[in-house]
Amino acid sequence: MRAIGSSLPRGDAVGKVVGATPYSGDLSMPGMLHAVTLFARRPHARILALDLGEAGRVPGVVCILTAADVPHNRFGLNVPDQPVLCGPGDDEHASRVRFVGDKVAVVVAETVEAAERARALIRVEYEALPVVPNPVAARQTGAPVLHAAHPDNVLLHYRVRKGDTLAGFAQADVVVEGEYSVGGQEHAFLQPEAGLAWLDEEGRVAVACAGQWAHEEQEQIAHALRLPDERVRVIHPAIGGAFGGREDISVQIVLALAAQKTGRPVKMVWTREESIIGHHKRHPMTYRCRTGATRDGRLVAAEVELVSDCGAYASTSTKVLGNATIMAVGPYDIPHVSIDAYTVYTNNVPSGAFRGFGAPQSHFAAESQMNKLAAALGMDPVELRLKNALRDGSLQVTQAPMPAGVSMDHVIEQCAESIGWRRTAQGWQRPAAAQPDSPWLRRGIGFAAAFKNIGFSFGYREHCWATVEIHGGGDIDRVVVRCAGSDVGQGAHLAFQQIAAEALGIEAEKVEIVSADTATTPGSSGSASASRMTFMAGNAIRGAAEKALAMWRDEEDRPVIATYEFNPPATTPMDDMGRSTPNFTYGYVAEAVEAEIDTETGEVRVRRVVCADDVGRAVNPQQVTGQIEGAVVQAQGWATIENFVQRDGLVLTPHLSTYLIPTVRDIPDRVDSIIVEVPDPLGPFGARGMAEMPFIPFAPALTAALHDATGVWFDHLPLTPVRVLETLDEQA
Amino acid sequence: MYPAKFDYVRANSVQEAVALASQRDDAKFIAGGHSLLPLMKLRLATPATLIDIGRLAELRGIRREGNGVTIGSLTTHDEIATSADVQSTVPALAEAAAHVGDQQVRNRGTIGGNIAHGDPASDLPTVLVALDGEVRIQGPNGQRTAKAQDFFLDILTTDLQPGEIITAIHVPAAPRSAYVKFENPASGYAMIGVCAAVSDGGAKVALGGALAKPARLVDVEKEVAGGSSAANAAKSTANRIGEDDWMGDIHASREYRMAVAPTFVERALSKAMSR
Repeated sequence: MRAIGSSLPRGDAVGKVVGATPYSGDLSMPGMLHAVTLFARRPHARILALDLGEAGRVPGVVCILTAADVPHNRFGLNVPDQPVLCGPGDDEHASRVRFVGDKVAVVVAETVEAAERARALIRVEYEALPVVPNPVAARQTGAPVLHAAHPDNVLLHYRVRKGDTLAGFAQADVVVEGEYSVGGQEHAFLQPEAGLAWLDEEGRVAVACAGQWAHEEQEQIAHALRLPDERVRVIHPAIGGAFGGREDISVQIVLALAAQKTGRPVKMVWTREESIIGHHKRHPMTYRCRTGATRDGRLVAAEVELVSDCGAYASTSTKVLGNATIMAVGPYDIPHVSIDAYTVYTNNVPSGAFRGFGAPQSHFAAESQMNKLAAALGMDPVELRLKNALRDGSLQVTQAPMPAGVSMDHVIEQCAESIGWRRTAQGWQRPAAAQPDSPWLRRGIGFAAAFKNIGFSFGYREHCWATVEIHGGGDIDRVVVRCAGSDVGQGAHLAFQQIAAEALGIEAEKVEIVSADTATTPGSSGSASASRMTFMAGNAIRGAAEKALAMWRDEEDRPVIATYEFNPPATTPMDDMGRSTPNFTYGYVAEAVEAEIDTETGEVRVRRVVCADDVGRAVNPQQVTGQIEGAVVQAQGWATIENFVQRDGLVLTPHLSTYLIPTVRDIPDRVDSIIVEVPDPLGPFGARGMAEMPFIPFAPALTAALHDATGVWFDHLPLTPVRVLETLDEQA
Repeated sequence: MYPAKFDYVRANSVQEAVALASQRDDAKFIAGGHSLLPLMKLRLATPATLIDIGRLAELRGIRREGNGVTIGSLTTHDEIATSADVQSTVPALAEAAAHVGDQQVRNRGTIGGNIAHGDPASDLPTVLVALDGEVRIQGPNGQRTAKAQDFFLDILTTDLQPGEIITAIHVPAAPRSAYVKFENPASGYAMIGVCAAVSDGGAKVALGGALAKPARLVDVEKEVAGGSSAANAAKSTANRIGEDDWMGDIHASREYRMAVAPTFVERALSKAMSR
């Protein structure tokens, strides 16, 4: 049996299911202290004074960390614009809190109860400042400036000009205009933020936590503590889901500081409410779009203006904006394109990485435009897509050719056929949904497609390290793979195991993965994000394994050890016309949704989803199916019931009883996962990244289904019953 | 959160339970605990003593009485939902009980506790108000009976006096009755719940979930009695409800509830008429 293509069971499954696997919140050490965070819980204010007197006298309190204790009081994944702790003093930037989850103090005590008691006794004197509730308010003249470096509150503006849109629209027989808005989304991973920090046997500050990129966290901790990187060690034990929500620092820096300060192990576990106000969300975005096509369905021009709510700090907003920009017209070859994209500071919870990273938002707008265009042309939506889909050599909006291996048309056809689209002499034809026997229930079928980059974009020097050790005599007994890449619950380590086994021609059981500890996996693997881990680590592991195997054959020494760094083709940043080679490869996906709407109550049920996802090569088909089903349900949540409500910077949905995610009662009746395998020329054994893709086309496919059912377009997410009913009433 | 500290005593009879309650300050009865314990964990209720009445067999069980059913206050939602007597005599009650919480809640939660709690989002009060149910009560001053319509006073407020225990609920037969609701997706609580019953003489309809307490929809009832269709009768749903009386929250605004309530009234009536 070959290692790749087998649905091997997860080695970590039983431990997780029976509760035996320790997550970072389960760890403890002798002499351990407990820490709690004092959050600002107000969206915009200046801290005038901080009085720790009474709090410090609570029995059991060991120390209270404030801004004054942070050696370099800034952090941020791309832009270090966020204070570790906010507090009064000469540092004007850190004297202001800009969102409810800004942190003011960390109390370290012998027990959680003592720490909580002391936290309640900290006196903070705030001067309330006017709140910037959304990007529209942020861009008005006279709006409060949230970051001195950006007096207009615009963190970044991307501008793309391809061809000549004036000339393009002049060729158009039909022009469709639309305005769209999408909401934020909470990651709602199973495990809230937690960590344990201590001084290890080599005197390093060690932090065991749930993260996505151990080496980046190491760097950010070292930066804030003014330590050399090698004096900081980051370890990822089992991680309870991430979805991008662990790309930013949460508990890591303050825990490291507390361990350093006290010389004792210190543990902190956020509550669910702290997690929801404390970490970033998916970007809420608004779109204004114009799309033009000729009578025969050829796209000639598109114009998009998009605005993303960055929230209080940059997080990954600039990178998300880049992705949203290059996907703003969908996976289509359009000769004349103009895009202006803005990400704007507000006093909302920061926006950042979340499965899809700007692609779901832009595809919702772009694919809704395509569905409306198909209707305006009287053309089948699949037919229209196939006429315009990106192909090998097509020019992207950045004017660079698509990387080889484009399978968009193939994926669209597979998906369409699977839900019953028919190829006729007149072209593709949508199947009619069977209508339920009820006067108020209507069903429809909708379609959408998407593409998404694999790996980091726009000139980031992508790389991934792996080391392979082969042990044994004549035969290979045992293989140790060292690769820092985190298994955030997606099953990356099993994929690593299978790829190593395939490259070495051995059974996967002989492969042991050593991972996610900066002390034992010294080379960075990059983040468990951007659908990149299997692709990047797979290439690194394959490279190291092949090198080791050659040594095994040529040399006498045992064990043999080989290290390999994988570097994909270089990418480039956008210039002032948006010209760039943004990415080295992409994944392709299409989805059809059959949905039912209660026209009297606005309730929406998803009956069936067909998702065709080109994964290049399924390393472990069961895991691929799991990712597709998980992504579809998460996308359904974003599109329908997940409603992250912020009013004047306050979070009105800080609990899972108010912020609703789909449960077993809400999920689609049926999800058909179609694994398409068009090899990626750069992928390990042809594999492409795939974990984000099935999320992306769901929302526009759903709204297309609702249009098929009712004749009404739904352009604003989420589709809560309240909004659906309002929209039906408006357009009735 | 853990509940605040409390004492626990178990009563061996209704009389003893009533006596214990008058001896102790700030005591609460507990049976299934499915309404009280969540409040205690949120520290919204901090009783000094819990008097456990959960094992009083005399308060348990369903029996036919007259042309209706009498249900002991300790009877669980599941027992009510699956009772052949309830299903045939008062199908709306079986239907409502079948939609309380989830199966675990229905296995433990009791009708008495549910009623005593007076939660406006609860299902059973709406059914009792619609069907002219009675609440039988025992307390320091002996036994009494309250009409369901008079029993529910406001949000989490009932006519139950200190030391009083609900011993049983009586519901007159309503074989052509139905309960439908629009529920909170997280909790399953009714954001709108409607119970309707029809007979040759007319109709009984109550609306819950959207108001501080269930309300009889007198105008809808008159319309049905006058021969209107369910759809036409439902148009009178909001006639006697002040705009400010409608509740709204993050899941369903006041405007939304006002807009869809007639739909649920129509659906409940149609379902009842089809029985």
